[in-house]
Amino acid sequence: MRKVYLCGQTMNGIYSALYDAWKSSRDEEAGIAFTDTVEHQLFCEYVEVVEDRRKGVAVDKLIRDHLGEKAYWDIYHALLSEDAKRADAVFHVLQDARAVKDSKRIMEHLTNPAVGKVFELKRRVANEAHLFLEFIRFRELEGGVMFSEISPRNRVLTCFGDHFGNRFPLENWMIYDKTHKEALLHRARAPWILISGEELDEELTKRVTEREKEFACLWRGFFQAIAIEERRNPSCQRTHLPLHFRKDMLEFDDMGGVEVF
Amino acid sequence: MNGMEEKRMAADKIGIGMPIFEKLKILSDAAKYDVSCTSSGVDRQGDGTGIGNCHAAGICHSFAADGRCVSLLKILFTNECIFDCKYCVNRSSNDVERTSFTPDEVCTLTIEFYRRNYIEGLFLSSGILKSPNYTMELIYATLYKLRHTYHFQGYIHVKAIPGTDAELIRRIGFLADRMSVNLELPTAESLRLLAPHKTRKNILAPMRLVQNAMAENKQEVALYRNAPHFVPAGQSTQMIIGATPENDYQILNVAESLYQKFGLKRVFYSAYVSVNKDAALPVKYQEGAGGGPPLLREHRLYQADWLLRFYRFEAHELLDEKNPNFNVLLDPKCDWAIRHLEQFPVEVNKAGYEMLLRVPGVGVKSALRIVKARRMGNVKFEDLKRMGVVLKRAVYFLTCNGRMMYPSVKIDEDYITRNLLNVGERLPDSVTGLSYRQLSLFDDQNFTPRTLQNIVAG
Repeated sequence: MRKVYLCGQTMNGIYSALYDAWKSSRDEEAGIAFTDTVEHQLFCEYVEVVEDRRKGVAVDKLIRDHLGEKAYWDIYHALLSEDAKRADAVFHVLQDARAVKDSKRIMEHLTNPAVGKVFELKRRVANEAHLFLEFIRFRELEGGVMFSEISPRNRVLTCFGDHFGNRFPLENWMIYDKTHKEALLHRARAPWILISGEELDEELTKRVTEREKEFACLWRGFFQAIAIEERRNPSCQRTHLPLHFRKDMLEFDDMGGVEVF
Repeated sequence: MNGMEEKRMAADKIGIGMPIFEKLKILSDAAKYDVSCTSSGVDRQGDGTGIGNCHAAGICHSFAADGRCVSLLKILFTNECIFDCKYCVNRSSNDVERTSFTPDEVCTLTIEFYRRNYIEGLFLSSGILKSPNYTMELIYATLYKLRHTYHFQGYIHVKAIPGTDAELIRRIGFLADRMSVNLELPTAESLRLLAPHKTRKNILAPMRLVQNAMAENKQEVALYRNAPHFVPAGQSTQMIIGATPENDYQILNVAESLYQKFGLKRVFYSAYVSVNKDAALPVKYQEGAGGGPPLLREHRLYQADWLLRFYRFEAHELLDEKNPNFNVLLDPKCDWAIRHLEQFPVEVNKAGYEMLLRVPGVGVKSALRIVKARRMGNVKFEDLKRMGVVLKRAVYFLTCNGRMMYPSVKIDEDYITRNLLNVGERLPDSVTGLSYRQLSLFDDQNFTPRTLQNIVAG
């Protein structure tokens, strides 16, 4: 009978499920589903997964060692998506990688349905993460913290840690994900950390410095001056910078996120 | 007081008393006609002691109302200018408000914008204050301060002014990531006509200089790993399209030789925007162009430029003496494919990488994915979609395992042309005429209704 492993939607839950499934069902037909979204089917055996950090560490190593660094990041990115089949697809990639001569090249095997799925998810997440590297806007709060808030579709926060950590090593900064209520925190000269489950004090994030107001104003002025009226092209602008990003960007906020001029 | 400081004081006086908001507005407005705003070409991690890093692919930070990316703080140091280039808004004979930044103002703006993640770095160009050397020294002072006092490690693109001393250019090159000299116009003749203070020789000299210095620097860096890098992101240039009578074939050839002979990273094309009235300039835009800049032409040139740089095409394959202008209805790659139907259809599972690159709808990345995936198993049409192939164009030119995607597809010029035109191409708004002008298929200077008939009738 086909075994289906049930886990929570967290990274830890998925890694634990991968661990259990790999341990006892790697040679059989099996799958992974989420406890809260699963649709029960006939002729399946459902197994609840016990979450454990150590399981995660083991799976992490397993993937890095056998599939290589590049495939590891592909899989990691795919798991940051909100797709209900993401854990299942990754498990099948792990299974199918054993049948390939060089397992490290499994992600090139795009004709394989599971690989195709993981590839598609990874592309979606990595693209969104990249767009936020572009469109994140920090504001200087009283006390000198650079603060930014975003509303991403996927859990992309961890994709920014190294980028901004390297870029602003001497700053205290924080990026808050309004969709998933998580925050990425960086203290000057220290590594970044991810915090979840904490409530944000919204009052505090509105108190900006005087200098902040001045530079926000300068930026808006620059942004308007730089466009060439004769080449005005709102649909091209929309293609590159979709409307849903604009609510968190200061150059659009006073225009209702539509257009400038 | 040393010479450098005196000059800075002099520059200070121009814009004295003007609030920075006004200055920024004037000097970014004056810089906006420079097209290049890329922050690409160099990968550099921050060393933990300052602010900033660079990504080879470049990062855009916003998109202005004209759809162009805003990646760098694009400003002029000053819009004072002793030159009188006919097409330029800052020419000496124009009566516009003049102002100038101080090095410190430029540094503060750059740093404060950068730490809010508004920009990827600085693009510093300038009008010519007193003399090319005088201006470039001010720019040198600015960049030096930004790099060494403010510890800025992000991207810097700087314009080299023709006529500057070689030594000064060399010193600036070690502070900047990219340097560019504007070619301005495609031929020496046009340059003589519209930019009387500039000569072709004067423009190409600093370009050659930067190229040679980069080559020397490469050897130094190979020998001493920590040697400073000279213009690590390479150099670029730009030319104005549509102000002078050159055809697309001439322009593309100029671009090709710049890539081959000067090792340029990018050539930018800028559709001529009429800002001045002058007897030497086209009175209006090209006849029938619907009254706007020749945007479709610019678009086609960029498409062809990509084909030269990434798709291994050569200029003479895309255009020739008899056919000197781009097809207005089809992009250059589709156009080429339709003129070479004898080479199609291409079998996805067998064709070489080079040939795959030439198939409309297949890009550099998807061609590579195909080559990798087919080592593992047969590639089918469903897989192509996932790999990023644009099937609505590619179906007419590809077979998978000997079959076309639809049995009804014929390898026939008329048939394919008609279908490709039906699919429609995503052109810029301003080109399709959805925004401020009616119809601009007629951007092409040689385009007449007769050509349209010929194209449609085959």
